[in-house]
Amino acid sequence: MPIYNAPLKKVDHAETRRYAGLNKAKFDEEIIESACRDVQILAQPKGIWNLYDYDASNALVHADPPFLIEGKKIQKHLAASTKVVLLAATIGEAVEEEITACFKGGKYSYSLLLDAAATTAVEQAADELEKTIRQKIEPMGYDMVWRFSPGYGDWDIRFQPEMIRLSQANQIGISLTESMMLLPRKSITAIIGLVAKQEIFACEHKSVEKHDCQICEKTDCLARKS
Amino acid sequence: MIQVFDGAMGTMLQAAGLKPGDCPELLNIEKPEIVEKVHAAYISSGADIIETNTFGGNCLKLDHYGLGSRAKEINQAAVKAAKAAAKGTQVKIAGSMGPTGRFIAPLGDLDFDEAYDAFFEQAQALAEAGADYLLIETSIDIQEMRAALLASKAAARIPVICQMSYSEDGRTVTGTDPQTAAITLEALGADIIGANCSLGPEQLIPIVETLAANCSCPISVQPNAGMPHLIDGKTVFPMSAKDMGLWAEKLVAAGATFIGGCCGTTPAHIAALKNALKDIVLPQRKARRPILALTSRSKTVFIDKDLPTRLIGERVNPTGRKKLAEEIRNNSFLSVKKEAIEQVHAGADILDINMGVAGIDQTVAMKKAITDIAQLVDVPLAIDTSDAAALEAGLKAYPGRALINSVSAEPDRLEYFLPLAKKYGAAILCLPISADGVPATAVERKNLIEKIVDEAQQFGLKSGDFLLDGLVMTAAADAKAGTETLETLRLYREHFGYPSTMGLSNISFGLPNRPLINSTFFSMCLAAGLDAPIMNPYDDSMQNSLLASAALLGKDPNARAYSMNTINQSAPKAAATAKIIDMDILTAIKTTVINGETDSVASLVETALKEGHSSEEITEKALTAAMNDIGVDFGQGRVFLPQVLLSAETMRAAFLKIKEILPMQNTQNKGTVVIATVKGDVHDLGKNIVAALLENNGFKLVDLGKDVDTETIVRSAIENQADIVGLCALMTTTMVQIDKVIDALKEAGCPAKVIVGGAVLTQEYADQAGADAYAHDGVIAVNIAKKLLD
Repeated sequence: MPIYNAPLKKVDHAETRRYAGLNKAKFDEEIIESACRDVQILAQPKGIWNLYDYDASNALVHADPPFLIEGKKIQKHLAASTKVVLLAATIGEAVEEEITACFKGGKYSYSLLLDAAATTAVEQAADELEKTIRQKIEPMGYDMVWRFSPGYGDWDIRFQPEMIRLSQANQIGISLTESMMLLPRKSITAIIGLVAKQEIFACEHKSVEKHDCQICEKTDCLARKS
Repeated sequence: MIQVFDGAMGTMLQAAGLKPGDCPELLNIEKPEIVEKVHAAYISSGADIIETNTFGGNCLKLDHYGLGSRAKEINQAAVKAAKAAAKGTQVKIAGSMGPTGRFIAPLGDLDFDEAYDAFFEQAQALAEAGADYLLIETSIDIQEMRAALLASKAAARIPVICQMSYSEDGRTVTGTDPQTAAITLEALGADIIGANCSLGPEQLIPIVETLAANCSCPISVQPNAGMPHLIDGKTVFPMSAKDMGLWAEKLVAAGATFIGGCCGTTPAHIAALKNALKDIVLPQRKARRPILALTSRSKTVFIDKDLPTRLIGERVNPTGRKKLAEEIRNNSFLSVKKEAIEQVHAGADILDINMGVAGIDQTVAMKKAITDIAQLVDVPLAIDTSDAAALEAGLKAYPGRALINSVSAEPDRLEYFLPLAKKYGAAILCLPISADGVPATAVERKNLIEKIVDEAQQFGLKSGDFLLDGLVMTAAADAKAGTETLETLRLYREHFGYPSTMGLSNISFGLPNRPLINSTFFSMCLAAGLDAPIMNPYDDSMQNSLLASAALLGKDPNARAYSMNTINQSAPKAAATAKIIDMDILTAIKTTVINGETDSVASLVETALKEGHSSEEITEKALTAAMNDIGVDFGQGRVFLPQVLLSAETMRAAFLKIKEILPMQNTQNKGTVVIATVKGDVHDLGKNIVAALLENNGFKLVDLGKDVDTETIVRSAIENQADIVGLCALMTTTMVQIDKVIDALKEAGCPAKVIVGGAVLTQEYADQAGADAYAHDGVIAVNIAKKLLD
């Protein structure tokens, strides 16, 4: 499946605020805008995906070899899916290097904002990648549920190697540390369940713009959406 | 006259035995009779044009089946089958050219030239075998369509139909809207422009209308039979032939004169269309006054006297800018990108891109600049160069209709630049300069423009392709500089009616208070007929002049924009600073830290020291007091982490100032902290924040970094006689290291207290691991550290 490197025309201001833990607090908007713009300049967005058949009753992705989905929440999320998309996205290392340099230079707050903008940017790169996926799967009669990554709910991060294998994330420069952390750090892998269009309304987790924090156990997270 | 295309090929082939996973195009060679039968079915249903079975017939797609080297053979066999079916009829043959399936760089990993070559091969094969049209269809990316169209025009002499595929949001997958597509593709030489697939007839009507309103080409449309459903694992397109026929009239009314069907359509659908279109009356297509339009991948900008003035940002230009030139020379384009984004933010409608740096390969630089900038902003670009190779590289890489800056009356420019403008469908900025020099009078300039326009028209350029430069001389050297330019603008309006541009700042060269001369002259030029100035969008005096002029010249009804902008500009920021001046110095410093005003604290600290306050007093009564207040506010959810960090930065600036003035003074040392992110963990922002807060609260920090193994932490704790060891772990996979480090510290007899933290950690985990404390965030960590060492 094709590589798609989404152009980053704007890094979302509101999402950057959320990831910075600002929510509704007053903060100089120009500084946030500046962080968004700096990330836009430094980011090197890349994305890739693959399509597989999915056997929901056995929670098995029909890859070669197959990939078993383990975790109650993720299994429920994919219960109505007959195919799945495995995707990966990153914005590269240049942003991380800038964040580190910034912090060393004593600009603590700006580093935090850059970090928040960078997280926003990689999610945006994945959103744009989803648009191209949708263009391919809609003519087949499918709709998508929202993307689910290892680490959400009870889906353990020890499945990252499988995510990398199935999405072919190494082709866009994503690798894994021994402790299952993605490198570059601002990268994501995810699974998207495909459901026949007319059945999407019966589905609990139909494709919405942004995913739901309710599924996550970390209730004291800075960036939790109320 | 309406021409009817045929319907879907793929589903018909499947019905005739094509198995999933087989290459449809191979049937042209192995079972041409099946293909002929499909064609015959559509011909009997009334199709005027049939499409060859070559949708996936480019070598890149065929490579999936190992058939890439047989592309020519396959395409020619396809035309042969179509011709056999059409024998004895008036039916025409369109050679179908579908997408490569990959995105062209930088959106994907496919090189533009590789795509061009694949399309060239296919177009040539189809044309040579006798196709009457080339049909580039179902394209989701304007850059791929450009490659295919350029290749088709180079490979063959038959008309080219360009159909893009639009999603429900009215744009192609890579963001092009129909207006932009129509303008870009007509300029690039498309003979017929249209849309197919993704949508049903109802959704395509507004798209057809927009296409028809934005070009003079005939319009084609091939809808799907409605929006697809999955029934029992099979994709079904629900619209019946009868219903499809009912939409035919509306599609014609919207402006289409070529109508067919895409996914889900059958001979019955085509028959219904043909029947419905039998006696149809063609609507009158509205005549359009040619207006200069520039496009990017996703946006069109019109330049015209009846529209708002368009700003062309001039800042991506290394001329006279050593730092920018140096960066470009070192292949760092960060400043280039930054200038692009910030100019657009400042109001530029178009960006001029100039890579003229001595000693570099300008072709490579221009290609990179155009490619990178087109990914970041959606305004159209002007390619500013005197080098034909750089110009072509820029035009090729640019996914839209660019402006060429510039074409003068010098023989070289006319000879090399005009053909490039025609080939790539670019607009040209006409510069009235000749080999004889720069003309001083308005009449001479007008005559040179005439010469350039005439020559351009020989190459096929026409009204709507020209932007005229009024030329600006230096007032200090030439008393008539101003008036001649104003007269030039007036003559351009009167004689040509084309929009005009200029780079204004030359007028004030050598004079004092240049902004005043520039902005005054700017207003005069706007009144005389300047439509798109090339300028610095950060220049406030120019922006203000533009706002005022727009209101005065009727381009800002009720002076609304002017009023709103003026209110915003005078918003007072001075109120806050006034309060600080009234306070005593220690309270002033404390307030400054709380407000996170890093820039103002240094001078306040200096004043406090001069007034006789000791550094301990300042630290305790102003700085620490401030951080305590912030900590309480943070704990109660009144301020948030970025604000806490700003205060920490201000603290740091204060400490640095104290150290600068009293270098021998012993800095406060509440205790030594060794901090690290544990082995296998590469996240460090949280740890860095804790370290920064501790340091700015008087602790001595030894930061070991991230991914630090147990032995290193223990050794450092002992060597530095640490009072506290801080351990961070972010993930479930690395938190086990915390237990290991704590055990190792105990074994080594290290007396330091251990504080742990990180997103995955909890009080319970900290307790079972034997930590002395768990800190949920940096502020709490500081409080715990203080308490532990009291």
